[in-house]
Amino acid sequence: MRTYRVAYPLTWRAMDVLEAFVAFVWPPSFRAAVPYLFLLPALILVGLLVLGLIQIADTSMRVLDRDTFLLSDAYSLDNYRRALTEPFFATIAGRSIIGSLIVTVITLVFAFPYAYLMVRTSSSALRKFLLVALFLPFFIGQVVRAYGWLIILGNQGIVNDILGHAGIPTLRLLYNYPAVLFGLVQYMLPFAVLMLAPALTAIPEELEAAAGSLGASWLKTFRHVVLPLARPGLVGAGLVVMTLSLTDFAIPAMLGGGSQDFIANAIYDQFFRTSDQGLGATLSLLLVAVGSLLVGVVFTAFGAGTLAMGGRRK
Amino acid sequence: MSGSRSKSVVIWAFVLAAIAMLSAPTIVVLGASFTAGNMIEFPPQGFSLKWYSAILSATDLRDAFFRSVYVAALNTIIAIPIGTLAGIALAKYKVRLENTIQVYLLLPFTIPLIGSGIGLMLVFGNAGALGQLWPVAIACCVINLPFMIWAVTASASNLSNDLELAAANCGAPPVQTFLYITLPAVLPGVITGSLLMFILGLNEFLVSLLLVDARSVTLPVQIYNSIRSIITPDLAAISVVFIVCAGVAVTLLDRLVGLDIFLKSK
Repeated sequence: MRTYRVAYPLTWRAMDVLEAFVAFVWPPSFRAAVPYLFLLPALILVGLLVLGLIQIADTSMRVLDRDTFLLSDAYSLDNYRRALTEPFFATIAGRSIIGSLIVTVITLVFAFPYAYLMVRTSSSALRKFLLVALFLPFFIGQVVRAYGWLIILGNQGIVNDILGHAGIPTLRLLYNYPAVLFGLVQYMLPFAVLMLAPALTAIPEELEAAAGSLGASWLKTFRHVVLPLARPGLVGAGLVVMTLSLTDFAIPAMLGGGSQDFIANAIYDQFFRTSDQGLGATLSLLLVAVGSLLVGVVFTAFGAGTLAMGGRRK
Repeated sequence: MSGSRSKSVVIWAFVLAAIAMLSAPTIVVLGASFTAGNMIEFPPQGFSLKWYSAILSATDLRDAFFRSVYVAALNTIIAIPIGTLAGIALAKYKVRLENTIQVYLLLPFTIPLIGSGIGLMLVFGNAGALGQLWPVAIACCVINLPFMIWAVTASASNLSNDLELAAANCGAPPVQTFLYITLPAVLPGVITGSLLMFILGLNEFLVSLLLVDARSVTLPVQIYNSIRSIITPDLAAISVVFIVCAGVAVTLLDRLVGLDIFLKSK
């Protein structure tokens, strides 16, 4: 008996206690509920967002009293009327929407060849280089990247220094609409390429070879074979880029210098400058509605792409 | 890639432009951090490490950096158990209402960041928790949680039902089966997910901006606040910290799972 006790290691005994404890708090008859138990913490955590949306909805229906700077207790739709009728917000919404459309088109034009080369190249070193060039900025974060652009494009920036040496007077390259759009394009490139790449991988290279051997030029092959087959990826990437740039804050704030605000900047100003939380909440809710609608369309039409969770096996 | 010369020229033209756009800010920040001048100029005025020693003695930048590390670490520690369990549940079990649950768990991606940030700001504000760091960590965890769950489910192809049955058949009770069979199978995904959570938490800007006050700014917010006044090379030096972290993350990611995983079609 004594030798048996020695041979039975401590870890085993600890495991036995653990098993007994688990069997006690979660009897085997509850086994069917195990996956729900596993999901519960994640559901609760994401529930914070739902709670947040409810708070936003509640705040959005309270009007700011200009005398006391408190929100009203009574509900009203006045904030929505203001958000939808005041020309100031229409200007900002128009700038954001037109901007995100332009950004989407330009981003796709650059992302498509990038993804194509990355998927089709036979050199694994080149593929790795392209992937690293893509992931590095993605992981560096928006603020540092925007800071880099400030150094390059600022009035005392690199470009103007070079132009100065060539005798060209200082150009105002920052704090205008094109600067914001440019910043957004380079911010969105990694997202677009990563959404496009799986779609391009799915197109067999033989199809292009076949088109070529039947006499189609590469442009024709591109137009009539590759582009149509890549359409799901293009639409998916396009919608993601559009939503992200429509709702972006940092790039318009840093490269627009306050004169090129997008919707997110207007929301921030309502909360932290004007202190009209009600109107800010209203704008947030409207933006969430538009943004979620766009992404919802992507997910229902094309699936979540590489981000699909579960789904494949079982 | 096959095809004519003109095709290569056109494609390479676009790709080179894209590479320039992607890497120009990084290279410039790196270069500016080593300048010997007091301003950022081109061509740079010689090489020096003085801005690195300057940031070592700048307590506000250093404090902000440690706050960011704290937020990133806490957000990863919260995300690991929550995301792993959810990922295993989605990958391994038949769950009722699975599609609904998936759509729900993807909410952090479908709700625009400014909306999530404002919502969480109101929630934590009503709870009187603003001004501390843990709400920032929880907020970062919520908005990036889908990455963690995705990483775990993506590695769940290693998860074989037969192995677990075999373990049970050999007499392993449920907890042992879970600890010795299920968890090791998804471990690569857990590591990838933690890496993503950490680096994204370290970089998180907008949600931090909304949730912090003057005493609890994280590094991206600190950089953002300083940029608006004047551009000095010390910001470039501190930004290099982010570049180094990103470099380490990309290297680790490539070693652990291979970056090629992102090219696979479904």
